[in-house]
Amino acid sequence: MALISTLLALRRDARVQKVPPYLSALLVVVGIAWLFLLPLNDYSRRTYVSENALLPAQVHTYFGGSEHNIFRAYRQEVAALAEWSVPDRSKKLEDLFRESNLKVASQKYAYESSNVTKSNENVYAILQGPRADATEAIVLIAAWKNMDNEINYSGVALVLSMARYFKKWSLWSKDVIFLITGDSTSGSQAWVDAYHDAHDPATIESLSIKSGALQGAVAVDYPAGTWGHRYDKLHIVYDGINGQLPNLDLINTAVNIAGGQMGISSTIQRMWSHSDSYRDRLQTIFRGMVSQSLGHATGPHSAFISYHVDAITLKTVGDGWHDEMSLGRTVESIFRSLNNLLEKLHQSFFFYLLLESKRFVSIGTYLPSAMLIAASFSIMAIAKWVESGKPDDIPNPASTKPPPKKSSSEKPDSKPSKEKPSSEKPSPKDDPSPEKETPPPTKEKQEQNSPKKEPSKDTKKETSKDTKKEPSKDTKKSPTTTSPRPLSLPLLLLLTFHFFPVFLLFTFNNFPLIELPALFQTTANVSTLLPLALSFAIRWSTDTRPTRREINLLQSFSLLFLGMCLSTLATINFSLSFFVGLACVPFSFVRPLKSYAASGVCYGVVALLNPVLLVQMGAKFAGVGIMEVLIKAAEGWQVWGLWTQVVVWLVWFPAWTVAAFVVALGFWEAE
Amino acid sequence: MGLGARTKVLLGVREEVVGALTDKVGAADFGVGDTELRGALVTSGHRRLAHELLCDISDYHERLILRPLPQSTLLASFNFRSNESSIAFEQQNFRYFPRSLGQILQHAHTKELHLRFSVGRWDAESWGQRPWHGAREGGNGVELWAWIEADNDDEAFTRWQTLVNSLSGLFCASLNFIDATRTIRPVMAFEPEGDHRNASNLHLLHGTLPHEVVCTENLTPFLKLLPCKGKAGISSLLDGHKLFDASFQTMAIDVRPVCDEQGQDCLLEMDQSVDMVLDVVRSKRPQDNPIPRPPPIEEIQCDSSKYYNAEDTCYPFNSGAEPSWSLKEIFGRPLKGACPLTEAGEGSETLCINTPPERTIQVETEGQFAESRTSSDTVRCYKLPVGSNFDLVLPEQQMTTGLVLPEPPLSASRSINGHGQERGSAQSVIKNPSSTDAVEFVYLESLPWFMRPYLHTLRAHVDTTTENPVKETFYRPAVDRQRGSHLEIRMVIPPASTLTLTYDFEKAILRYTEYPPDANRGFDAAPAVIRILSPNRSGDRKGIYLRTTPLLLSLPTPDFSMPYNVIILTSTVMALGFGNIFNLLVRRFVGVDEAPQNGGFKGVLQDKIARLTGRFKKS
Repeated sequence: MALISTLLALRRDARVQKVPPYLSALLVVVGIAWLFLLPLNDYSRRTYVSENALLPAQVHTYFGGSEHNIFRAYRQEVAALAEWSVPDRSKKLEDLFRESNLKVASQKYAYESSNVTKSNENVYAILQGPRADATEAIVLIAAWKNMDNEINYSGVALVLSMARYFKKWSLWSKDVIFLITGDSTSGSQAWVDAYHDAHDPATIESLSIKSGALQGAVAVDYPAGTWGHRYDKLHIVYDGINGQLPNLDLINTAVNIAGGQMGISSTIQRMWSHSDSYRDRLQTIFRGMVSQSLGHATGPHSAFISYHVDAITLKTVGDGWHDEMSLGRTVESIFRSLNNLLEKLHQSFFFYLLLESKRFVSIGTYLPSAMLIAASFSIMAIAKWVESGKPDDIPNPASTKPPPKKSSSEKPDSKPSKEKPSSEKPSPKDDPSPEKETPPPTKEKQEQNSPKKEPSKDTKKETSKDTKKEPSKDTKKSPTTTSPRPLSLPLLLLLTFHFFPVFLLFTFNNFPLIELPALFQTTANVSTLLPLALSFAIRWSTDTRPTRREINLLQSFSLLFLGMCLSTLATINFSLSFFVGLACVPFSFVRPLKSYAASGVCYGVVALLNPVLLVQMGAKFAGVGIMEVLIKAAEGWQVWGLWTQVVVWLVWFPAWTVAAFVVALGFWEAE
Repeated sequence: MGLGARTKVLLGVREEVVGALTDKVGAADFGVGDTELRGALVTSGHRRLAHELLCDISDYHERLILRPLPQSTLLASFNFRSNESSIAFEQQNFRYFPRSLGQILQHAHTKELHLRFSVGRWDAESWGQRPWHGAREGGNGVELWAWIEADNDDEAFTRWQTLVNSLSGLFCASLNFIDATRTIRPVMAFEPEGDHRNASNLHLLHGTLPHEVVCTENLTPFLKLLPCKGKAGISSLLDGHKLFDASFQTMAIDVRPVCDEQGQDCLLEMDQSVDMVLDVVRSKRPQDNPIPRPPPIEEIQCDSSKYYNAEDTCYPFNSGAEPSWSLKEIFGRPLKGACPLTEAGEGSETLCINTPPERTIQVETEGQFAESRTSSDTVRCYKLPVGSNFDLVLPEQQMTTGLVLPEPPLSASRSINGHGQERGSAQSVIKNPSSTDAVEFVYLESLPWFMRPYLHTLRAHVDTTTENPVKETFYRPAVDRQRGSHLEIRMVIPPASTLTLTYDFEKAILRYTEYPPDANRGFDAAPAVIRILSPNRSGDRKGIYLRTTPLLLSLPTPDFSMPYNVIILTSTVMALGFGNIFNLLVRRFVGVDEAPQNGGFKGVLQDKIARLTGRFKKS
């Protein structure tokens, strides 16, 4: 009992109350350091195929010989279509599939984002597995144009010749769907949406023939033209939309088959040369995290992952000695493995970071990193809440709430309290609208209960301790005692800061293309100056408000919300949570400073952390125009169901605004 | 496609045949050419047949009809029919009727039985109308329905259980898994095929096993029921390797009583049929080398008209010619002559092939055979020699005419829409290709109990009218773990229209012991059965049927793996820890002697009053 009492008493220890900022900073440091430990051998594992049914690289592959001649012919056919119009091209592709005796259909789709309409056509063919009952299907995809906007000549030709070749086999226990999408991202999105009947029939055509539940999808990206191109490595692209990942078993299968059976080395995250050093591993993790945090579509496979269909893209890279047949055999072997599956891929990991194609870190190991950072905000939020419970040190004569009344809060004010503000208002100017002032007393009333109880609890506790210790008479007046918190203004400000960006979210995703640069510039400029203006407006209109306690409350709520969102996000999209958390770290520690210079410096630093500016700097660093980012983001919102903007505008941006506002208040308090 | 030239075809034949159809009641329903064929061969229907047969005591028939279909496929329909007089049957005096099955039927008081084993899909778009108008096929997996004589429902169900358990042993299939949750009592979708004037209190029960894998172990007992047991006759062609490599395959057993007009002399007829669609190219591959290795380039005919045609570039030339094949190649074994038990006369022409007259067919046999041609020479039938092998050889041939494939009366597809673990919706799209006839049909859906349909979300929409196509609905809701949902809808679909039927459903959460070992595969929902009421083109009591493909339903599945256990254990430890800490935080621990003396309800009340008065005093 004594231990518990001591622990409880510790809550009121002034020294303990100094701890949170240091603890918070420590968590951030540990969180970042944690990430740097991951590439070490002790913290990562070699990948392994968990699902026994896959049996990767256990089958002989026969795609070769005369199939090569036929492949070349298909490539000629595909090359001839380069200049054709979309409907003619689709028709020709349909005919090519139909010659292999498959069920063929096409799908027209149109998407509008940033007032630009993109329309195209998907062609797909279904090979009804002789031993299948139309309950399961696997998909082989080639986009007509790959992510770099090159025509995927050899990829499409490979799908056509695989379709012809697969048709001869009688071992398919699942249907095989051959899909040629009009483009790399929207096309597969339109198709997979329509497959699950989650599309808008006005712009996206429904699928006329369907098969069973999709079990896996593999896309090939091989843009070599009619003369062919011998490649060096397979680049396995696996990022899905919103940072979702396919089951690790699928990647393992592909890596295993390419490496073990075909002798093609595979690479991930554009690491063209990977020496397996600490540096390279870290870089791979970093690239993987950036890609995951953006949550954008990285290939035709991305759309599938949203529907819990495991999918990857195989892209040929470099100059080497592997030809189209080895890619074909890799695909053949992967499909034989997928065909073996008895259940949906579920054995292996869905949350992982890859260090190289054969090494990974699982969620249990990496998650604490982002969680610690998210926790640092929650700790500061609690600290600020406790701090806001302390009465203002210097009673402000102009304050609306007379301090003596508050410290002697024993007095219960149930009904008369409503009259209190009006009777004791020093000037009407402070309070332009009487209705606005009514909430605080009611809230105070609720708060009233806690201080009323707490002292009594204290006294009771002391009486119980009477026998051992002399009760200190002035506990009630100790600085740790809480007093009612002024909640109205902080909550009002908080809601403003959080709801205003909804407007930005809407405009950025819906404005036409030509207005986007202007909108971005305006947002960048206005958002930098807005906290300054707002803080001035509030200080000017209320003279003394917000008080120190109100600022603490505002920060507390803001940080609490941030910490909560980030810790939830960390379980879904680790990387986004980590990066946003990192960019928000200083917001835990800002407060109004009492000098112009300090405030200026501080505001400058915070202004640099403006999400808008950071996005622009990030784009510049990555070598992409900001316009491209905005267009992709709008497309993501309209087409892919991307949620990154929601996090940026509704979590990150409000947190920044609150921080900048708090710093800006320093200017008007400075002497 | 090469087919275009051939579709002009034998239109005249078709007219003639349709005309012939109307007055030949009971002719088998095997597409147009075959209708004619059967009409001519079986000497106008089974009614007359029954008369003849009643004079004899029992008899046995078998027939194989081959029909080349587009895309180098071949439909082979085997039909075996054995009869036994009711009196002999009652006395357990079996001749052609298999004793094993007969005793089961007697024991389970089953008057009519239909059992189906099916794999694959009938591709109505390219193959046209289904064999037997779909009356001799089942949904994927195993389907069983029977009319059982019993005094009440409970007794009927007990006998049904006896039946399924016995059949399970007989056919090496998991039929015993047809329990109460998979059994329904259809109201409109099935009619008895036999004469049941003598029987009273018949109960129809229907069960399906959509995930049952049909394979060789089911074929062997099937062949054992035949009098020639696969040793001679057309059944000697049935080989598990080829049968289960087919694109579509269905085995059916139908037992029904057939009586004369007075209902006096009855006989029990057992119809066994196997329909399979073989891919000619795939089936021709030898059994010891089934791998489709790419052939050497010299063996591939290249399209030399392509500008890029070169030594290393070859666009495969599709001549559109009918591929060459022979019975031995296709079925992997020779046809070992006729089954000696088949009766003489017209019924002895046991092998028929339905091709355009111009198709060259060579017969290879050492024994005596007879060929006859009917239906404008589109059907050639052979009387098989007894005791010596028989083979048909068809060389590769460029055809100028083709057969008209009769259009299916309806086509249906069903799929699950939506995604996620909680809800979904099922959608059936039913098309009426006919431009003149409205089609009335019954749609039967038998859903497992864990797929809970919301009937209020049932929508039937026809694209050409706004009229509600639903005429009658029968619905029996599911009871968790006891029975599944049973939905029957009678609908009318106008000509040249598409009917879309959708309903939402909720996915139940199962107890963890209720998951099968392959929990993450999903759960199969049985195919929907569609019975066409009008226009009734089949002209007999078998009816016209159509089935959709089964559905794979993914239910919320717990992670049955090690991490899951770890999470559970950790959560338990956390909960324990949390409970303790929570108690410490919110409770005040005092010694017994320090506790307030006035305990109990009275004490609490006094305390409250004291507090209230104190508050008033202060204010």
